[in-house]
Amino acid sequence: MKRLLPIFAVLLVVAACLPGQELDPSQILKPPTSDWPTFNGDYTGRRYSPLTQISKDNVRSLTLAWAFQTHSQGLQSMPLEVNGILYISGGNQIWAVDARTGREIWHFVRPGFPPGGGNKGVAMWKNRLYMNTFDAQLLCVDAQTGKMLWQIQIADPALKAFGTVAPLVVGNHLIEGTSGDTADLPGFLESINPVDGKIEWRWDSMPKQSDPAWNTWPHDTDVITRGGGMTWLTGTYDPALNLLYWGTGNPHPVENGYTRVGANLYTCSIVALNPDTGKLVWYFQSSPHDTHDWDTVMTPVLFDGTFKGKPRKMLAQANKNGMFFVLDRTNGQALLSEPFVPANWFSGFNKRGEPIPAKDKEPQPDGVLVTGGVGTNWQAPSFDPQTGLFYVNSRETMGVFYLTMPGKNAEGWAGRDFFLGSKSMLKAIDYQTGKTRWEHTANGRGGQSGILTTAGHLLFTADDAQNLVALDPSSGEVLWHMYPGGGLGTGPMTYELDNRQYVVFPVDGVVYGFALPETPSRSSRNLGQ
Amino acid sequence: MKKFAVAAILVLSAVVLLKAQEGAPSGAARGQGGRLGTRNSAQKEAEGAAAERGSTIFKENCAACHGENLTGGRGPDLIRSSLVRHDKNGDLIGPVVTGGRADKGMPAFPFTQAQVADLIAFIQSELALFDLHTRFSPYPNDIPASRLATGSVEAGKAYFYGPGGCSGCHSPTGDLAGVANKYNPPDLEVRFLYPSGTPSTAIVTLPSGEKFEGTLLLNDGFNVAIQGKDGWYHSWPRRTVKIEVHDPLAAHEALLQKYTDADMHNIFTYLETLK
Repeated sequence: MKRLLPIFAVLLVVAACLPGQELDPSQILKPPTSDWPTFNGDYTGRRYSPLTQISKDNVRSLTLAWAFQTHSQGLQSMPLEVNGILYISGGNQIWAVDARTGREIWHFVRPGFPPGGGNKGVAMWKNRLYMNTFDAQLLCVDAQTGKMLWQIQIADPALKAFGTVAPLVVGNHLIEGTSGDTADLPGFLESINPVDGKIEWRWDSMPKQSDPAWNTWPHDTDVITRGGGMTWLTGTYDPALNLLYWGTGNPHPVENGYTRVGANLYTCSIVALNPDTGKLVWYFQSSPHDTHDWDTVMTPVLFDGTFKGKPRKMLAQANKNGMFFVLDRTNGQALLSEPFVPANWFSGFNKRGEPIPAKDKEPQPDGVLVTGGVGTNWQAPSFDPQTGLFYVNSRETMGVFYLTMPGKNAEGWAGRDFFLGSKSMLKAIDYQTGKTRWEHTANGRGGQSGILTTAGHLLFTADDAQNLVALDPSSGEVLWHMYPGGGLGTGPMTYELDNRQYVVFPVDGVVYGFALPETPSRSSRNLGQ
Repeated sequence: MKKFAVAAILVLSAVVLLKAQEGAPSGAARGQGGRLGTRNSAQKEAEGAAAERGSTIFKENCAACHGENLTGGRGPDLIRSSLVRHDKNGDLIGPVVTGGRADKGMPAFPFTQAQVADLIAFIQSELALFDLHTRFSPYPNDIPASRLATGSVEAGKAYFYGPGGCSGCHSPTGDLAGVANKYNPPDLEVRFLYPSGTPSTAIVTLPSGEKFEGTLLLNDGFNVAIQGKDGWYHSWPRRTVKIEVHDPLAAHEALLQKYTDADMHNIFTYLETLK
């Protein structure tokens, strides 16, 4: 043992020195502490940090450590933090910012393109950053200098494809999704070589003829070639099972099901893929034959625990269709399917635990009243293993759905929906029962921000009146709040550097870093020197 | 599909949207040769005429393979064709039309340059119309009242005076007189279901017993703010005051949970008679 120690020491030194400011992909396998190296902090999508410095007992004294002014608007991106540097994106631009001080290190603006618009975040692999663009390009940027290394075309923007998703790094692969539903494009997921941008595999949301799922589409038309199933939000990954989990968007044409009788796989589904080959291992369709635009891209959150007394590896999702699902993530078997808001668009569940759409709630030319929808959206939920509760910012709505292009020749958006009288609330859902344990509202109509939980027994989010809040995750009691002057377009994230924990909230165009006050002794000692 | 991506779509479709708001004829539909433009009317007319001529050429020569609505058949879908979408003034489409694609069974069409230009004007106008099929294109003026008025006037009226309790606050000869003329059909329906934007009012009582009344602006659990009857803005920490909220939409909210689709159609059909 003693002999081994020096070797360990050498290895440790090597490990510490080699990467410099780079991100070793294996770092994403660890729980997020000093780094927040990927869209959800780690692969599980729990958005749960093991950090405890800021806690239920001291969060009342949380104070502003710094603010970074982007001079941009409506940030939707989740910052990454790697080795003391924050990487924050907007449309066609990235900022590298000192994670301790909020000072800008560099600002990348894509040459020849106006900065602005939405982007969900960057991915990092070694010394490189990756970002999607509105014209469906994937950019590779040097993380040290902020200079662009290359760009590749992911899909055809002339066909209304675009990209806002933060790619996911899995080992030496970049997993990449796509967006766009105006011109009825089929969706896909790709694995891209992070060095040269070469495509390694491609999984198509539309099944091939050899796949039984092909029979979930009619074949007297070519509607399957127009499909849908966009992959527009970052998925999750289980390294032990070596499975990638990703949600897919709605089928096309949108809100008209007459032209595509059948379940329309693999739209509105959670799919489990082998990340080395792109082969489908299992699927669960949360909205078979969707006619309400219930995309299923919401984060598939991974956690282990007991379910009805049996240890299980689980995947939970709060869906746009108002349903909370718990699956066995080894095989996709549904353990629980339960609405978390009132929902009238389904008539029951099939034997796979998938909702059966109610025929009389499909959009009609003279309108139908539909509940359940947009029960939540893409903004991140969180799972706290300390409470065993799943947190989601939810909405209870009444929608009116009109079929504006009836018949079999419909294309693109074939319907309209209007959502009336929505109530927003943060819900804490018991994953064992699907029942809401507590809920919190600020009487507002917002409630579309992401959530973070921490081992300090805290839940951070923005309430439906745009206040940044810290709640007790077991009771929902408000422990801290602050109005930041705008909306939290994405969710909070956290990291600890030099023994100081920061909680970061991107609000409109300003990124706020909160921390506990520095102790007076530190300041006076500095003054004394 | 993606509400969050409004900005994205707006950027991508800004031109189309602007055009549409300015020039979309009511009832514009595919295949009517409807022409959208923001330029002066002479240019618009010229382009419309070109598209009309192109439409005839298309029907006679192209539709058999590419479909009446351009979405394909024996030949490829032109609406979703990368080549068509990347065409600039015929630089890509022109050579295919005049040269054909022998390998794929498409003959060459010996059209004049002017005929090719007309054909492309038609295809472009069809693309512009197709691209209006987004969530974000202009409000659907093309939903006629007749499509929504599928209920019974009598049943709607009975609901209005009976179980709906609508007549407690509204009158067809008072506030609702001529209401069907004020709003386009889907607006009228959405507004009677839930007239969003009607603010709550509140009475705020201070510890001293002094009362303030006005439009409620904020009640988030931390602070209360109103626009007072005195015209001034007032706010207080929530814990220091008592507040009594009156939501004028509470009755609408409660009804929303009770309506059947038939109720909705009947009420609309009744309201549509109030002209």
